[in-house]
Amino acid sequence: MELSDANLQTLTEYLKKTLDPDPAIRRPAEKFLESVEGSQNYPLLLLTLLEKSQENVIKVCASVTFKNYIKRNWRIVEDEPNKICESDRIAIKANIVPLMLSSPEQIQKQLSDAISIIGREDFPQKWPDLLTEMVNRFQSGDFHVINGVLRTAHSLFKRYRHEFKSNELWTEIKLVLDAFALPLTNLFKATIELCSTHANDASALKVLFSSLILIAKLFYSLNFQDLPEFFEDNMETWMTNFHSLLTLDNKLLQTDDEEEAGLLELLKSQICDNAALYAQKYDEEFQPYLPRFVTAIWNLLVTTGQEVKYDLLVSNAIQFLASVCERPHYKHLFEDQNTLTSICEKVIVPNMEFRAADEEAFEDNSEEYIRRDLEGSDIDTRRRAACDLVRGLCKFFEGPVTGIFSGYVNSMLQEYAKNPSVNWKHKDAAIYLVTSLASKAQTQKHGITQANELVNLTEFFVNHIQPDLKSATVNEFPVLKADGIKYIMIFRNQVPKEQLLVAIPLLINHLQAESIVVHTYAAHALERLFTMRGTNNTTLITAAEMAPFVEVLLTNLFKALTLPGSSENEYIMKAIMRSFSLLQESIIPYIPSVITQLTQKLLAVSKNPSKPHFNHYMFESICLSIRITCKANPEAVGSFEEALFLVFTEILQNDVQEFIPYVFQVMSLLLEMHKNEIPSSYMALFPHLLQPVLWERTGNIPPLVRLLQAFLERGASTIASAAADKIPGLLGVFQKLIASKANDHQGFYLLNSIIEHMPPESVDQYRKQIFILLFQRLQNSKTTKFIKSFLVFINLYCIRYGALALQEIFDSIQPKMFGMVLEKIIIPEIQKVSGQVEKKICAVGITKILTECPPMMDTEYTKLWIPLLQALIGLFELPEDDTIPDEEHFIDIEDTPGYQTAFSQLAFAGKKEHDPVGQMVNNPRIHLAQSLHKLSTACPGRVLSMLSTSLNAEALQYLQGYLQAASVSLL
Amino acid sequence: LRTQRVEVSIELRKAKKDEQILKRRNISLHVREENLSLGQDKPEEIIHLSLEKIVEAVNGNNPKLQLLATQATRRMLSRQKDPPINQIIELGIIPRMVEFLSYADNAALQFEAAWALTNIASGTSEHTRAVVEGGAIPVFISLLSSPHMHISEQAVWALGNVAGDGPLYRDALINSHVIPPLLALVSPVTPVGFLRNITWTLSNLCRNKNPYPPLDAVHEILPVLICLMQHEDKDIITDSCWAVSYLTDGSNDRIQIVVDTGVLPRLVELMACTDVVVMTPALRAIGNVVTGTDQQTQAAIDAGVLAVLPRLLRHTKPTIQKEAAWTLSNIAAGPCQQIQQLITCGLLPPLVELLHKGDFKAQKEAVWVVANFTTGGTVDQMVELIRSGVLKPLLNLLSARDSKTILIILDTISNLFMAAEKLGETEKLCLLVEELDGLEKIEDLQNHENSMVYRAALNIIEKYFSGEENLDLEPQTGQDGLYDFSVKKQDFNF
Repeated sequence: MELSDANLQTLTEYLKKTLDPDPAIRRPAEKFLESVEGSQNYPLLLLTLLEKSQENVIKVCASVTFKNYIKRNWRIVEDEPNKICESDRIAIKANIVPLMLSSPEQIQKQLSDAISIIGREDFPQKWPDLLTEMVNRFQSGDFHVINGVLRTAHSLFKRYRHEFKSNELWTEIKLVLDAFALPLTNLFKATIELCSTHANDASALKVLFSSLILIAKLFYSLNFQDLPEFFEDNMETWMTNFHSLLTLDNKLLQTDDEEEAGLLELLKSQICDNAALYAQKYDEEFQPYLPRFVTAIWNLLVTTGQEVKYDLLVSNAIQFLASVCERPHYKHLFEDQNTLTSICEKVIVPNMEFRAADEEAFEDNSEEYIRRDLEGSDIDTRRRAACDLVRGLCKFFEGPVTGIFSGYVNSMLQEYAKNPSVNWKHKDAAIYLVTSLASKAQTQKHGITQANELVNLTEFFVNHIQPDLKSATVNEFPVLKADGIKYIMIFRNQVPKEQLLVAIPLLINHLQAESIVVHTYAAHALERLFTMRGTNNTTLITAAEMAPFVEVLLTNLFKALTLPGSSENEYIMKAIMRSFSLLQESIIPYIPSVITQLTQKLLAVSKNPSKPHFNHYMFESICLSIRITCKANPEAVGSFEEALFLVFTEILQNDVQEFIPYVFQVMSLLLEMHKNEIPSSYMALFPHLLQPVLWERTGNIPPLVRLLQAFLERGASTIASAAADKIPGLLGVFQKLIASKANDHQGFYLLNSIIEHMPPESVDQYRKQIFILLFQRLQNSKTTKFIKSFLVFINLYCIRYGALALQEIFDSIQPKMFGMVLEKIIIPEIQKVSGQVEKKICAVGITKILTECPPMMDTEYTKLWIPLLQALIGLFELPEDDTIPDEEHFIDIEDTPGYQTAFSQLAFAGKKEHDPVGQMVNNPRIHLAQSLHKLSTACPGRVLSMLSTSLNAEALQYLQGYLQAASVSLL
Repeated sequence: LRTQRVEVSIELRKAKKDEQILKRRNISLHVREENLSLGQDKPEEIIHLSLEKIVEAVNGNNPKLQLLATQATRRMLSRQKDPPINQIIELGIIPRMVEFLSYADNAALQFEAAWALTNIASGTSEHTRAVVEGGAIPVFISLLSSPHMHISEQAVWALGNVAGDGPLYRDALINSHVIPPLLALVSPVTPVGFLRNITWTLSNLCRNKNPYPPLDAVHEILPVLICLMQHEDKDIITDSCWAVSYLTDGSNDRIQIVVDTGVLPRLVELMACTDVVVMTPALRAIGNVVTGTDQQTQAAIDAGVLAVLPRLLRHTKPTIQKEAAWTLSNIAAGPCQQIQQLITCGLLPPLVELLHKGDFKAQKEAVWVVANFTTGGTVDQMVELIRSGVLKPLLNLLSARDSKTILIILDTISNLFMAAEKLGETEKLCLLVEELDGLEKIEDLQNHENSMVYRAALNIIEKYFSGEENLDLEPQTGQDGLYDFSVKKQDFNF
């Protein structure tokens, strides 16, 4: 492409079309531009347009297109063609900096981005003049130009903040320092001087302060990796000026905006960061300056207002103090009683106040409020920073700080008592203060786990929290109610049980509160209390203790779901689930009404599922209703099917993807409740479950496998007789699963069920293929997970079909296959099998191979007999995995392994672990001893001589133990 | 894996202050002036000559003027501030001064010339080169055997400066057989001051890499160094420790030569010395030894290094903390038996303290200790580590402003989780991490700019705080619309 007017014209036309809202016009234009971007001069045409076009939109559009072009093409990838010709590259680098500097801000930003992309590739080696060019501009005196340079420098250097140290990186930094550090320092000094010369010129000050912010940012980048010699030598200049900037104020720079941070705030905030950087990394060198900064920052905090625009500055500043006060050698800066008092009084307390913005969020944006307050997404908030400072100070001064705050808490409570309706915020602050003072460590699951022993939490609860919650009017002072409920929730492990029992009816009562935050907190608190552990891994609060409240609890919970704003409130739904699980059979009388309400809810939300957690707990609640009811009365399953199948059909027909995995799980649960032959209503569904489209969605796989397993368990013979033509499809599903590293274990679940339940003759013709498929995976992409599942499967097969059948089928696939699998897979890998049942299956299977497989005794496989026995003894004697999985009552959605939005395993639809060898073998060690005894009786002398010649001493000793325990001996 | 002392070719920081001095100028006078006066009638006769006069006199034949001029030159070169080394070199009188060195009948002139040349050689590399290119090496070496002690001492000093310039001149000296006459000067009657100079010069002959000093030379010098290390003079001990620290700063076979001398117990003893000047090189040497093989590290452990380290980890000087932590990190990189000794000797409490409140440089090394520990330690040892309270300060350092450190901590956390998995205590560790505000920090790191850091953080979150998997292969759909169950057979060989 030539640099001609005609081409400029064409390009302008196409650029214009790319802005068209109609895709029929826009898309072809975009396509065209892509097709010509490989031509020489294309980038130069864009640069010309963005400089000279008459239309501003085209300028902007050209600059964006240029930046994206650079982003896509500048990097030269090895073995790929260079997408920009060399002369264009040179021309771009020669022109872009002046062009950027002379452009209006909108375009300047795009070009500055482009420069940093180019710089990332070419700087410094292939763009040696860039630095000099930039530094020269510092002399220009034109601060619009200077700011452009600084912005570019910032985008080039900011990567020093996160890249790993390397010779290459440090060479670059050194080069930059050599060329840039001194001019930057001079610019810094000059800018500060200009600030005082222009102290009365608002517009000049704005530009100058923008420069100072960028300079401060550059300082941060350049000092990040290590303390450069230059900056160490010039620390005095930088730190003295930073320090005085921190204390500077100028009315002209104050903004009226309450929300957006102004230049002054941004600068001070960056200086706090710079000081924190030095304090953390270069403590030795920075020590002389640190006390000054502590004082300045603390004064800054004392004088900064409550407006939102100061939030970042304040939280940065407080975090600086928090990080310094924990350091032993700065302890002295804080230990004076007056200092401590003043920090508490002037820094911490004011920043804990409930502000107008908080109040607004509490009322109008409760979800966000709850997220911040309850789930701790409050990292940058003032309250959080203040809370961190309290924790930091408590490290050395727990006693004095607690003392100071106790005084405060008392006086705030007194203020409140004088006139609650006016002074309720004082009580809010008091509660927050107590909370932050008392909590030393916290988790979502357990609330506070370590508390300050100097605070009497129970006393505070009885005297100041309970009265609020006992008040007859649940809607009065909603913030204080929420505070009180939260207090119970987080200190649940510190407050004695009898107090919790007092609190429960109060919480149930507050489920009726109109405020979303209040009834949500009440539901959440109840749910957390119900999940607390008592002795023996049971719940702390028992069903018996809850008996008087069952009706009111269920009524209020379901009523809360009808309150405005809470129709899909996940906290309430979770509380419903937890209540069911805790109360068990005492909910049965209410089930008819409950299940009606749940199915209605299900029907309503299935139109547009939007709250995954809510939905999850809803299905859990449905499962619990089924289980609890059917446990007492198995016949009731029919009425559940009646109530649910209609909705389920609708969900399946409308393909509500979020709900389908849940539906399969509930169906599995229902199917398993049937004691007799599989109902025909289910059988009709069977072919549909094999449809590939269902299996393409990963989220469906686990529940579908589970459902097919239920089909096989209850109806294997029906499938064999009535749906034999579907067996290849069923095995096809197995093949699909086994092909995937992620899902192969699911494939094995299915296969195990097929082998265990299907009549042998119905799968006879496929058996060989099954093994070939498994061997293929084993050969091409084996993983530990696959091997573990494979070992369990072949041993299960051995148990079901006999060891000889296993050997025969292996060797029919390939001669000596059986020996190879024994030697290369079973013997070396068997120790990896985990899980009680899995280990047992393997033990019994291997015992069969050792004692019921003649070729093991009289062919070349004989040499593997001892190693196999040794491996089996190893499996027995491995340290047992004795962790007991959590009882389902305590399971949380976050704990469920494999939880993801696509598939959520329902804890309460969970099936019991199935032990296919349960009845057959009780103790596998004794079983081994007995089987060996039997074998040795059949061929006297053989077993003993093999053992005595090759079994290692330790294994032999274990074996003798088994024989003794079984009271048998070998012949 | 053990990490060698990192060779930083690029340094942003100021040069380190606690390194041994490479070259020294002789400016301390009075003792020497008196020595000198033994060969002279008038002790303090200060004469100022112009540069032209000096050139003239040096090149002339009048021994008296030669002496005066040389002395004047030496005085200029010995003044406290800004010695005019360049100017003197430009006068072109160095070859002549070298010639004076061989005037065995004029001891005073020999001495003055030696002193002047010493101070010229004490400057930059260029300055040293001027002396060497003037032919000074062989003459100085022969002056080592001068009957006048003050002359041979000055020769020792001059040669020290030459050796200190770098590996090239160091080896030139060694090849010119500097070692035998130098070692011959060491005897029980050698005055302490002289012995200091000899030790310092010997240390420079051991110093510098690329290449290392020849092995023969090392074998020659080492026994004498070991003796010197037993001396009671602090400076002699210090410089001989520096020498050993250079010899150990290399490959394992070089470390082995030092270990074989049996000097490690003495080094450990000196490491425990309260004087930082002595402790620094001793710690440096031991730190180098434990970068070696497991056996070499064991030798250092057997010499008692673990008993001394706790105090050094708690030292007030950040560089000592850092060096001690670095040493410990290499011991922690050893087999689990060595890790066990580290535990048994009570190193965990000071380590945790250091992580918690040490200087940042030292904290970084302490993080490495923990990282290495969790790479090689047994599950039981990891439990011990967690019990020592390491987790809190370690997780706190996730907010450090250093990507590498963060990454190492994340790797360490992964290691700990793997151990926890083996014990079936994953959930306990999850809670502990959350309780210590670690979860929040790790979650935050998922937004880190550095891709390795965010991936490591993401990995931990996914693996232990949520859990997900990926897929791989695919089958086909048959005519009935269901999956086809069919396999082609291949040969299997596992």
